[in-house]
Amino acid sequence: MGYKTLLTKRVEFSASHRYWNPKWNEEANKAVFGKCISPYGHGHNYVLEVTVDGTVDPDTGMIINIYDLKPLISEVLKDFDHKFLNEDNPYFKDLIPTTENIARVLWDLIEKKLKETTDCKLYRIRLYETPDLFVDYRRE
Amino acid sequence: MRREICALTKIYHFSAAHRLHATRYSDEENRRIFGKCNNPKGHGHDYHIEIKVTGNIDPETGMVINLSELDEMIKDIIEELDHTRLDIEVPHFREFVPSGENIAKYIWMRLQPKMKKGAPLHIKLWETQDNYFEYFEEDNYSANE
Repeated sequence: MGYKTLLTKRVEFSASHRYWNPKWNEEANKAVFGKCISPYGHGHNYVLEVTVDGTVDPDTGMIINIYDLKPLISEVLKDFDHKFLNEDNPYFKDLIPTTENIARVLWDLIEKKLKETTDCKLYRIRLYETPDLFVDYRRE
Repeated sequence: MRREICALTKIYHFSAAHRLHATRYSDEENRRIFGKCNNPKGHGHDYHIEIKVTGNIDPETGMVINLSELDEMIKDIIEELDHTRLDIEVPHFREFVPSGENIAKYIWMRLQPKMKKGAPLHIKLWETQDNYFEYFEEDNYSANE
């Protein structure tokens, strides 16, 4: 039994995407993805929650300074905010930008940056596509 | 590579009336236990149901579950509950008190068997902005947290 302190930072970004599996014909894509196959994409106001796990520094009382965490996330989101994910973002050339896959890519990018500059561990990524639809992603 | 844990949550809505009343108790006992919620004519809530599905991300679709399939699976459950007086019009709740706990469990019981590959469900039922109830299989909790 142990105790855990977590910190979560919420950040919004807006992006467009299109669902399309190039291995399938149009009919098959439409059957699975419906309206989301529209060729020029459609968009969402995403809300990203980054939850960080770590030791509380006895001097600052913090796991991580939000002044450090926020720019780290903003840097990662440069390739996402106000972009067409399928074409403007390098990670979705061969990966369908579903909420699940975006969460997975964000986990990789944010975890890498956290490791480079802090002693904190990434605990969970939650990505809201709409207020009624979200994905939780983590690795253990 | 470490194990990845991915869960998709979709929130659905319905509005319903209910009266909390247990037939095995006297009217006086019911008033004592359930208080205002025992009002004979009932009262209502706007319920929000969070349906959380945990599973693998399908490499072909990039999805844990196809949302249109989930919408289809839950459609008749919502239709049965929406704009009804639960303890009168929904057969299950003639037998079981339509408390938040029992409604959450009922939704789980109806939906879980429909899940492909037995993907575990975690149901969170919001009765008001300040009350919610959860139902899930405990063995799957770590995967679901």
